[in-house]
Amino acid sequence: MSSELLFSTIAIFLLAALVPIGMVATTIFGPRSSKEKIKNEAYESGIKNVLGGVDQKFSVKFYLIAILFLIFDIEAVFMYPWAVNVRELSWFGLTEMVVFILLLLTGLIYILRKGVLNWR
Amino acid sequence: MKDTTLTQLQEAFPSATCTQVIDTAVLDVQPNDLTTTLTALKEAFGCDLLLDVTGIDYLTYPKPPQKERFRVVYTLRNWRDNLVVQVRTGVSNPEIGLPTASSIWESANWGERECWDQYGINFSGHPDLRRILNHVQFKGHPLRKDYPVDKRQILMESDSLEAPLKSRLASKNIAREAMTELGTDVMFLNIGPAHPATHGAIRFAVALDGETILANIVEIGYLHRGFEKLAETHTYNQVIPLTDRLNYCSSMMNNIAYVKAIEKFAAIEITERAQFMRVVLGEFYRILDHLVCLAAAGVDVGGLTNYWYLYDEKEAAYDFISKLCGGRLMSTATRIGGMYHDFHEGWEKEMEFHLAAIEKGAGDSQGLMEKNRILQDRMQNVCRFSPEQAISFGLTGPNLRSCGVPFDLRKDAPYYNYDSFDFDIPIGSNGDVYDRFMIRYEEIKQSIRIIRQAMKMIPGGPVNVNDSQVHLPKKAQVYTKIEGLANHFKMVFEGVHVPKGEWYDGYEAANGELGFHFVSDGSGTPYKCKVRPPCFYTLGAFPAMVEGNMIADAIVNLSCLNIIGGELDR
Amino acid sequence: MALGIEASLGESVLTSKLDEIINWGRKYSLWPYVFGTACCAIEFMSTAAAQFDISRFGAEVVRYSPRQADMLMVCGTITYKQAPILHRIYHQLCEPKWVVSVGACATSGGIYDNYCTVQGIDQIIPVDVYVSGCPPRPEGILNALMDLQKQIESNSILIDPQARHKDFRGILDQ
Repeated sequence: MSSELLFSTIAIFLLAALVPIGMVATTIFGPRSSKEKIKNEAYESGIKNVLGGVDQKFSVKFYLIAILFLIFDIEAVFMYPWAVNVRELSWFGLTEMVVFILLLLTGLIYILRKGVLNWR
Repeated sequence: MKDTTLTQLQEAFPSATCTQVIDTAVLDVQPNDLTTTLTALKEAFGCDLLLDVTGIDYLTYPKPPQKERFRVVYTLRNWRDNLVVQVRTGVSNPEIGLPTASSIWESANWGERECWDQYGINFSGHPDLRRILNHVQFKGHPLRKDYPVDKRQILMESDSLEAPLKSRLASKNIAREAMTELGTDVMFLNIGPAHPATHGAIRFAVALDGETILANIVEIGYLHRGFEKLAETHTYNQVIPLTDRLNYCSSMMNNIAYVKAIEKFAAIEITERAQFMRVVLGEFYRILDHLVCLAAAGVDVGGLTNYWYLYDEKEAAYDFISKLCGGRLMSTATRIGGMYHDFHEGWEKEMEFHLAAIEKGAGDSQGLMEKNRILQDRMQNVCRFSPEQAISFGLTGPNLRSCGVPFDLRKDAPYYNYDSFDFDIPIGSNGDVYDRFMIRYEEIKQSIRIIRQAMKMIPGGPVNVNDSQVHLPKKAQVYTKIEGLANHFKMVFEGVHVPKGEWYDGYEAANGELGFHFVSDGSGTPYKCKVRPPCFYTLGAFPAMVEGNMIADAIVNLSCLNIIGGELDR
Repeated sequence: MALGIEASLGESVLTSKLDEIINWGRKYSLWPYVFGTACCAIEFMSTAAAQFDISRFGAEVVRYSPRQADMLMVCGTITYKQAPILHRIYHQLCEPKWVVSVGACATSGGIYDNYCTVQGIDQIIPVDVYVSGCPPRPEGILNALMDLQKQIESNSILIDPQARHKDFRGILDQ
């Protein structure tokens, strides 16, 4: 590995490690908070018991929207490295990417036809 | 009221006793005839607006008019023909009580709940007879005369509302089995009293399918401060600061409504100048109330700039009010027989300056909000309410007019020379949230018109009646003459003596018809003072408005209904 | 209970400097939880608006979640029906927390001495600053904020900030 790459890799890892180190350090060195019973209960606008119980099922449409977002977000993420190296990958890379997008496009047409994106 | 109405009523209900109190027709019926009388009044006499349901406890009344201890009064209005009818019946045993009227008018639902909560009168057949203003662990009925005013009861834990919500959901026949097949179920959510969007202390429990509201229960009473019980221990003029705090955004309108009702019954004719003052200040406060509603509604949709912008005008108006009344928010500026103070020097110029600023500010705000695509998508065709539903639920004021019903007390039952002013009543066409929002801009414009006309027409002269039994005598009289001193002493200690009787009077406040129903025993303190709050019945209609819409729509609807906690819970 | 490791340093120039910095940060970023029920909430809205501007004290960010706020401003009458809600919200606030009781009704029940009104929120939760008035002028609310800032100035990291209220027992604290 070249020295710049090595340096930047180590820098990124150290910065990322700063987050959990910071959290642990403030827990050890910082002030304690009280452990009252009410404080640790769920906030329900001031009411004691969560209406319907905490284990009630959410509607499936929330899950669907979240999953669909995830899929199309990852698709966008995968397109970034290709976009950076589009010249080196030339025609081969283009056809690969078009196939990838077409597969996900059929998925999109399916969910549109099924009416999943209609929020009601 | 037409002269023939009383004879028509007597012919239609031969077993009832028909009398007239100020301009209200009063029918005394037997409990067996109550439902038939009410139904006939609605169908044959067009009284499709049930204004109020209340009870009276005659335990400590000197020479009570009936032998039963309790009486229930239904106040009805025929808004087309300007007819107010009060149907009264005695209740011999409050445990048995009366048959419910909630199948005739939807507004009877909450009215009778309050009557049960405060007096303990049962209504058989009522779909949901629970406490509404007092908390769930409260024992007793506070407005009964044998309940001491300072007997406090602590609530240890709030009601969970699960049972009433589930029963309302069941009554809607939602097919829960179909939902569980899909792997989901109805979700319950509590939009609690400590919430920024509830504008005070209102609590909802909703049953949701995703984000769509299937069933909705509204819980109020978190700001119930016992206005009615306190009014029974204060003199008539001492109650005026308590009325300030009813609809605290437009406090003087409550003052005016209160003293207007007393002056009407006691036949006290206030001076012309006082009448015009009350018109000018009443309309000014109407503008302020609408400004607050528009600002808060904008915040709920996400348009915070509108809030900062409109609040500028409101702060400027506070300068005028604090010069006149001494306080920014609470005015306490009316007294029986007139006003506390006359206008200060140079008030016309200041008022014109404020009106011009409000015109510009509200005009700018309307320009920003009216054609805003986001606002239109959020508010148009959302929570639509038909005129028939609105009347049945007892809505009045801008909320009723936005549904398309052209009812305004200032035009239909004018008082204080309103019939000599030239102004229009804006009416909505769709009954959706957009109409409820936009109608307030138009009402601001009309109120400005009225104020300008009134400022031109206001005469000089005294502001208070020159009657020592009604209004405090001048200080020079009090300190030099014995009659002045005696009158002052009696009036402060005993209060203004209002003749014995019971009456109702309505006033067009910023939110709707603000009515006061009094029972007087001839002394200087009211025996009973019931407020007919416009917000109370509006919020009773709220579940019917939002079921089928999404939570975000419900929040926007709530903010455009302008629910003020002080008036709702009293 | 709430003392961190720096307390083991004892009283020294390090802890006093640390005190100053921490108190400076806390007092100029008091995020209010506006428990607004009645008319005083309208006056708080005026305080937050442009003319009186609570934002210049650092308290503009009105947080409606008790987990994100540190100052509970009770604006308005508290009834017995509302009392358990207030109690719960107070206990769900994270330390360090302060309570400002705005207006006559929150301070002592105000003009409502009857069966349904709590005669002062200090029957339910401990209060740090009281503001009188019905409703108080926005300057009164800002004055209370400044008083609270003076109280915070005298805090020390060697002392638990919640210890001042450890003996408090309200009517809902059975």
